[in-house]
Amino acid sequence: MADRGTGVDEGIITRRTAILGAGGLGVFGVLASRLYYLQVTKAEDYRVLSDDNRFNFNITMPSRGRILDRHGESLAINSQDYRVVMIPERVKDIDATLKRVSEILPLRETTLKRIRKDINEHARFVPILIDDHLDWETFSALNLNTPDLPGVIPEVGEGRSYPDNGIFAHTLGYVGRADVKDVEKDKDPLLRQPTFRIGKTGVEAAADKTLRGTAGRLKVEVNAVGRIVREWPDPKDQAIDGKDVWLTIDAELQRHAAELFEEDSGGLAVIDVVTGELRTLLSMPTFDGNMFVSGLTQDDMDKLNNDEKRPQYNKVLSGGYPPASTFKMAVMLAALESGLIDPTSKVFCTQKLRLGNRTFHCWKRGGHGPMDMRDALKNSCDIYFYEISQQIGMDKIAEMGRKLGFGQAHNIGIAGVKSGIMPDPAWKQARLGNGWRMGDTLNASIGQGFVLATPLQLAVMAGRIANGRKALTPNLLIGQDLPEMADLGIDPSHLAFVQDAMWSVCEEPGGTAYRENGLGIKGLDMAGKTGTGQVRGISASERRSRLRKNEELPWKLRDHSIFTGYAPYDAPRFAVGCVVEHGGSGSKRAADIVRGVLQRALERDGLGPKTELPPDGASL
Amino acid sequence: MMNPLSSRAGLTAKLYEVNWLLIALVALVGMVGVTMIFAATDGVWSRGAQQHLIRLVFAGGIMLAVAMTDIKVWYTLAYPIYAVALIMLIGVDVMGVSVNGSQRWLDLKLIRFQPSEVMKLAIVLALARYYHDLPKYFTSRISGLAGAALIILFPMALILRQPDLGTTLLVAATGVALVFLAGVNWRVIGGAALAGTIAIPLFFRFGLKEYQRSRILTFLDPSRDPTGASYHITQSKIALGSGGVTGKGFMNGTQRQLEYVPENRTDFIFTVIGEEFGLIGSLLTMGLYISVIGLCVWLSMQCKHIFSRLLILGLTTTFTLYIFINLGMVMGLAPVVGVPLPLISYGGTVILTVMTGFGLVLSAHLHRQNELPRSHF
Repeated sequence: MADRGTGVDEGIITRRTAILGAGGLGVFGVLASRLYYLQVTKAEDYRVLSDDNRFNFNITMPSRGRILDRHGESLAINSQDYRVVMIPERVKDIDATLKRVSEILPLRETTLKRIRKDINEHARFVPILIDDHLDWETFSALNLNTPDLPGVIPEVGEGRSYPDNGIFAHTLGYVGRADVKDVEKDKDPLLRQPTFRIGKTGVEAAADKTLRGTAGRLKVEVNAVGRIVREWPDPKDQAIDGKDVWLTIDAELQRHAAELFEEDSGGLAVIDVVTGELRTLLSMPTFDGNMFVSGLTQDDMDKLNNDEKRPQYNKVLSGGYPPASTFKMAVMLAALESGLIDPTSKVFCTQKLRLGNRTFHCWKRGGHGPMDMRDALKNSCDIYFYEISQQIGMDKIAEMGRKLGFGQAHNIGIAGVKSGIMPDPAWKQARLGNGWRMGDTLNASIGQGFVLATPLQLAVMAGRIANGRKALTPNLLIGQDLPEMADLGIDPSHLAFVQDAMWSVCEEPGGTAYRENGLGIKGLDMAGKTGTGQVRGISASERRSRLRKNEELPWKLRDHSIFTGYAPYDAPRFAVGCVVEHGGSGSKRAADIVRGVLQRALERDGLGPKTELPPDGASL
Repeated sequence: MMNPLSSRAGLTAKLYEVNWLLIALVALVGMVGVTMIFAATDGVWSRGAQQHLIRLVFAGGIMLAVAMTDIKVWYTLAYPIYAVALIMLIGVDVMGVSVNGSQRWLDLKLIRFQPSEVMKLAIVLALARYYHDLPKYFTSRISGLAGAALIILFPMALILRQPDLGTTLLVAATGVALVFLAGVNWRVIGGAALAGTIAIPLFFRFGLKEYQRSRILTFLDPSRDPTGASYHITQSKIALGSGGVTGKGFMNGTQRQLEYVPENRTDFIFTVIGEEFGLIGSLLTMGLYISVIGLCVWLSMQCKHIFSRLLILGLTTTFTLYIFINLGMVMGLAPVVGVPLPLISYGGTVILTVMTGFGLVLSAHLHRQNELPRSHF
């Protein structure tokens, strides 16, 4: 364009456009030939690459922390677990493959159902557990057959294992597969790993975050059948193992307590009178936590559920029992603190006490005769406590009960601790909708009626009486921040009186728990109180003819045998609460168990003169 | 010969006259994008495909609005737009928002956008006007070259500071292409080529950030880091190569499904085309792009003034460079610099830039017979 002879020449633009256009077409040509090279010449190589070696990010599992007793003995560990997993992505025909596998390793219908469900719920490259806890023969047979079973991978993993055959099962709890609710609550990618196990109950659940650890990542190159051909580890992506959790429990002592229980059912707690550390937390009979890890069969489940001794029930924390005569210390202290009762004045026990048209009985045929307060505890006279409780009133008794730890769920860091019942008029009105009657007070004064307590609470009560200054609170997990214990707020002279009376129960001839050779450790005395928890009503006609002996009754109707006490009497170290379900009189079964446990506890604490210390020599 | 369209000409007449073939081709490329994003996101409509379609429609509206506006308006606004883009680039430097470690975004509360995208258009507008106004005999003189160099170098330096190597190269190459098209003589071109040969190694050593250097080194020697930077390229080549001639079929790409190819709905979308539709699909896509480019060049030749011609050619150059850099990167011929495949890759900013560019192309062509003034130096 020639207008005014200036401006860029149009002809030049057209020529230059042609040059650039040709260049552009050239570049497109290069790109197209490159495509041809990649997609035609090299296509086969790349097809193999795309089918074969692939990079995957595998989640690497941290080791779960152990659970240890106070001396470092393992209560929950990880053991080698032979298992077989399947990567659905690498499997051509899942049904056929499972059928082949079940020729070597029989798979139950429920297992197959679970495997199919897992396959549907996870990404195709996530390994799905077929079965674990395999024996060596099956495992090696599977290994031999892997060439015919692409995508099926036998592997050695870590499984949770509880070495002690269940003695700690209730406290430790167990681990299991994370369920839908767990996965919703917790976004940790570990939970979506089919081989991961999460704490379900007990310490395993309470300390799960500590024990679990953190997932790692591992970049791996895998071939067509899912075998890892190369790993690209990165130190910063490593899994962080879970931390160990230490318990205040003394495993050896707990084992001893379990032996003393023999076949009986019940719960027992040993508490350090100074620190509140629980040395033993036993519920009998036990169950094997390992069963829950590997998956329970219907048969196992039925066996557990139909056992009348309820092995799964955590009796020491959750079992509510009438504390029976062990509650009399609370009544005594309420009496002394209120100043309404002179401990030296006597009540005459004729075995019967009439209240309105009801008759209340003492357990001793023919009655105890004249009883002052100390004698009443030593002999466990019911009539004495019927009398004084009427003068003190239920509110004061309940207040003292609560001071001693009844009616509250002690927080020991794990779930399942029950509060029992410390009834008073307000409670009855709110709960049952009718008024408190004097008869209720009488029943409560001997720990019957509405009063319910757990073996842990019995131990805490004895511990508080023995400690004398602080409202002792139990704890289980070492390293937890513990709140300062509150003052107990009971006159020391009153406590001394009760302590002396509890001593007389065990150490004075005639006391309900007196044994000639006492604790079995020279120079050390114990203090305690027996209780016989009635679980059935006794009819007037039976009382007239003859009270049936426990041995004549079906197990379910026999009395609970209860004992609570502490030792050494003059410098208390340990307190124990014990209930033997339907174990008969508290002066026998429970008293003997507690005596044996206290003896062993003191020996292990280096207090006894016995030379026969356990081989690990663990002593403080 | 058709009558010049005045700026007052009826909208209907203009809509009738606008080049619908180009619009149709652009829409077709956009639909390829929607389809491939759909495949890349495992057929989940809401993970990008839907958004891509909405953006195409929205940007299409803007394209038409730009096309209907008289080319005189764009001529008048060329320098002001360039100035605003330059100020915004300085603004990013001072108060930009950092995304993925690069400071490219300017947050204007209402919209967050990249001034470097605006600059891609502005630099073409500015240079087109510059050469429209420049007397012919200045083109290869020092004074004429210095003006063009200033227009190119200011934004280049600012974009490189962000740092955004891909856009810097794009803007620079577009600028150089326009200087070439404007007719600078071969002596100057030879000198520039010599200077470039000396400058590039220096630039590589001192002008680039560590990660940019690493990308280029990895490109030259892929084995030096098989799981890091070259992982992208290796996986992308496997995806393309395993597609073969006919591909694995729509939604059947294994590399894509396993998410071995990273960012496969954005910068690496072409791997999905190559894996699922093979060589045939890849070549068809490239053919579609060539048609768009060829049509634009054809449209430029019908324009009466230098401004319109250079504007169309400059914008086409930018569009073409996007494609070259992206395809080169995906096929392992160019370093991974993070340039999307225009209209097909998922991402709003690029769609807006490219479609506005096509709006300018359409406007230049639609008003090709109109008179343009000429300011003299």
